[in-house]
Amino acid sequence: MVAVALSITGVINRTRALLAGRKGIRFFQHIYNVGLQLRKGAVYSTTTTALFRIAPAVYLGATMLAFLFIPVADLEPVLSFHGDIILVAYLLALSRVAIVLAALDTGSSFEGMGAAREALYGALVEPALMMGLATLALFCGYSSFADIFSMAQELNMNLSVVLFLVAYVFVIIMIIEGGRVPVDDPKTHLELTMIHEVMCLDYSGVDMAFIHIAGWLKNSIFAVIAANAIAVAVSFHWWFAAPLAILITGVSVGVVESLRARNKLSRNITFILTIVAMSALVLLTGFLLIQNIEI
Amino acid sequence: MYLYTLLAALVVIVAIFLTPLRYKVWVATATIAATAIAALTLVVKAFADGTVTIASFSTSMFGAESFVVDKLSSLFLLIISIAAIATVLYSRGYVAGYMQRFSPAHFSLHYTALVLLVVSMMLVVMSSGGFSFLFSWELMTIASFILILFEADRLTTRRAALNYLVMMHIGFMFLVVGFVLLYNVTGSANFAAIQDYFKMQAPLPLFVILFIGFGMKAGIFPMHIWLPEAHPAAPSHVSAIMSGVMIKTGVYGIMRLMQAIDNNTELLYDVGLIVLLSGIVTGLWGVIFAAMQNDVKRLLAYSSIENIGVILIGLGIAAVGHAAGSNLIGMCGLCGALLHTVNHSLFKSMLFFSAGNIYSMMHTTTMNQMGGLAKHMPVTAILMLFATVAICALPPLNGFVSELLIYIGMFNGVSDGHEVLYSIAGIIALSLIGGIVVIAFTKLYGVVFLGSPRSHHVAESTEVDNLRIAAMAIPAVLILFIGMFPQYAIRPIAIVAEAISGADNSIAVNHFAPTLQSVSAVAWVLVAMVLLLFVLKHKLQSNRKIEYGPTWGCGFTAPNIRMQYTGESFSEGLESIGKPLMKNAVDGRAVDKSEIFPSPHNYRIEHKDKVDSLFGMWWVKMMHRINNWVMRLRTGRVNNYITFALAFFVVVLILTIVGIL
Repeated sequence: MVAVALSITGVINRTRALLAGRKGIRFFQHIYNVGLQLRKGAVYSTTTTALFRIAPAVYLGATMLAFLFIPVADLEPVLSFHGDIILVAYLLALSRVAIVLAALDTGSSFEGMGAAREALYGALVEPALMMGLATLALFCGYSSFADIFSMAQELNMNLSVVLFLVAYVFVIIMIIEGGRVPVDDPKTHLELTMIHEVMCLDYSGVDMAFIHIAGWLKNSIFAVIAANAIAVAVSFHWWFAAPLAILITGVSVGVVESLRARNKLSRNITFILTIVAMSALVLLTGFLLIQNIEI
Repeated sequence: MYLYTLLAALVVIVAIFLTPLRYKVWVATATIAATAIAALTLVVKAFADGTVTIASFSTSMFGAESFVVDKLSSLFLLIISIAAIATVLYSRGYVAGYMQRFSPAHFSLHYTALVLLVVSMMLVVMSSGGFSFLFSWELMTIASFILILFEADRLTTRRAALNYLVMMHIGFMFLVVGFVLLYNVTGSANFAAIQDYFKMQAPLPLFVILFIGFGMKAGIFPMHIWLPEAHPAAPSHVSAIMSGVMIKTGVYGIMRLMQAIDNNTELLYDVGLIVLLSGIVTGLWGVIFAAMQNDVKRLLAYSSIENIGVILIGLGIAAVGHAAGSNLIGMCGLCGALLHTVNHSLFKSMLFFSAGNIYSMMHTTTMNQMGGLAKHMPVTAILMLFATVAICALPPLNGFVSELLIYIGMFNGVSDGHEVLYSIAGIIALSLIGGIVVIAFTKLYGVVFLGSPRSHHVAESTEVDNLRIAAMAIPAVLILFIGMFPQYAIRPIAIVAEAISGADNSIAVNHFAPTLQSVSAVAWVLVAMVLLLFVLKHKLQSNRKIEYGPTWGCGFTAPNIRMQYTGESFSEGLESIGKPLMKNAVDGRAVDKSEIFPSPHNYRIEHKDKVDSLFGMWWVKMMHRINNWVMRLRTGRVNNYITFALAFFVVVLILTIVGIL
């Protein structure tokens, strides 16, 4: 799981380099960068309050805790209890609130812009996330990650189509939440793409490292859920799911980033609402399939 | 009994009016504290013995009635007592700023009304129904009307108060019709008789009539429009108790109705559907408007509407679940709704208190004139942050626990195959509400407390007095307790839920007790983890250079405060989605895209409800028309009036002859 978190960014970078015909940066360059940041000092804006200092800790802390609930196929998660899928969604929301408030704390119009968009996209993607989870709960009859995926083994094969779609939904959610093309561009924080990156403009050193690490963890949470959904349909083992998580998200994000530009901002809302509608559709399809089977 | 009550009320009123200005608050505090202590002893007794009958009497209108404390009323008594004490403590500092402006009698009236409101709310939740219920209900309306009128020298306040009074009486009429109907059929107007009525007659009409009556108080869509008008007009502590507790009496009424349904599965199903749908609409409507508002108190008012929606979603899911034969879903929904009622009363009163602190320093509630208040009012800022996290339903605070319970109910609905579609609708609505509430409250907190100041008032503001802080700390402690130890907080809630549903709660409690245990553990782990990371960060930074400078402007060298993101721009994205729901009142002109070097602009926008006109305009116009028509008869000539009188007698005569009269 940790390995998944660490390598997704690497795979994305490699895919992009490969498709662009460049030699590209090293696979572990991003880890090296963060290591560097951890050893640096910091610059704080005089506008900010103590909240600005605590926010990265909350951001990382909440994401880490959410991370601990996610199983990788048959590998048990560290923590688990009945109802933890809701907790994970709300922990991610907590991390979002922390970073949005920190961005507003700087009093910069750029960061305000990023915060506003992040809050809006986060709000709109929430139903998609919940419906994706509800689809899984519908199939497996439980509401903790560990139970869902362990119960899922005895599942009827007819449902595997739906599971692939669930995986697709989660990959898109990862793109939205992780601030990737076509919703956001992680390479820039300026002008038209001010969303995720611009919120951390005033962070430096250790704080920035925390935010990066939290970003990896967040991506890996969605990636692993997506991979688990596929693993349920194909082969339920951690040695299948873990590399799959890295590959599907890494390669798909890399390919998408190389092949298309990011959306116009006004199109982003449509993009997100499409995925919400999609997840509703997936949920209904799953529901109908289950009904048919029972009849 | 009546005599003694009247005498006691008289003594309190005289005491408030006679004491010198500065001590009026303490008389009110002593009275409310005494009432609260009396209420709490009743609560303890009710939990021990089941029900406690305080007084039984006979009324000329509806027959035998009584004041009884059962488990449901004791939960509400608890909420009322806590909020009342916090409110009256808070009020001292808040009204101190008005000492010069108003006469002592004005304050006496205010405090009398406050005591009256608290007492009448308690009577409402203790009454067995019928006349005493309607009487207390009306008393509550009038007391809160007087409280809203505190700043009666402002036109907007008078208008809002009148609007409130009219709306409440429309609701009251529905209640009267409902109780009369009930009395006609069953011979008793008590809540207990509703059960018989439901067996004897078609139950839905009565349910809908009473639901509208209670819904008017609770602020259910589309009857919510009085809330965003009344709250900005009322003083903050009044908003706190009205929004935190008084609107919950509407929820209380709806719970009583649901309690009466008992085991009538078909009815339970229909009722659940109505409640769930109105909850979804109310919640979404409230939250979208909350996120759009640029006024602190209007935002909080809309957020109250949203929370009522969440409570109704919980109740609706509970009813649908019971109807489908799943006790588990029923208990989860019910416990979630009850706990959310408690939670909302806590954090909403805290938020309104914070708004009061801001208002008394800034003399405005317009968000876009604030900014950076956290530096000048640090304690208020921390307490408000606390309430913000709680109302956004984020772990580790209490809002999360109640929403988690409702979610668990709905997820169980999905996974067990009970009423999957309704559960899905509820999940979508609740998650969307949860997401947008984050926009609303990060906006509120960010624009008010963070960033750079947008007006000179900010620099002049200081922290408020300690008594107000202490008043805010009361709900804060309870929020923390429910958030960190939900497994203990749920016990009384589960008992109350069992009393409402009449079903055995042990299965459900066994089901979610371990979950809550884990939630508590997770809350502690979360806090520990954040602290650990923060300490780690400090360690890493300890021998590094920390520098301070202005916010990075991306190379732009002349940023100024006016360039900061405002509340309006923060919610601009949402506005593009929510446009069809609202009509905007725009003042001035926005900067056009074609202006490369913009001239000075003055721009103000207010997002208003489209539903407003549903109540506001058409019936005002209709009244005008009727009035005009009637006025034509008022000619001012005696001979005409005599003709009218004659015509009246002739009509009566003819009717008698024909045999209609």
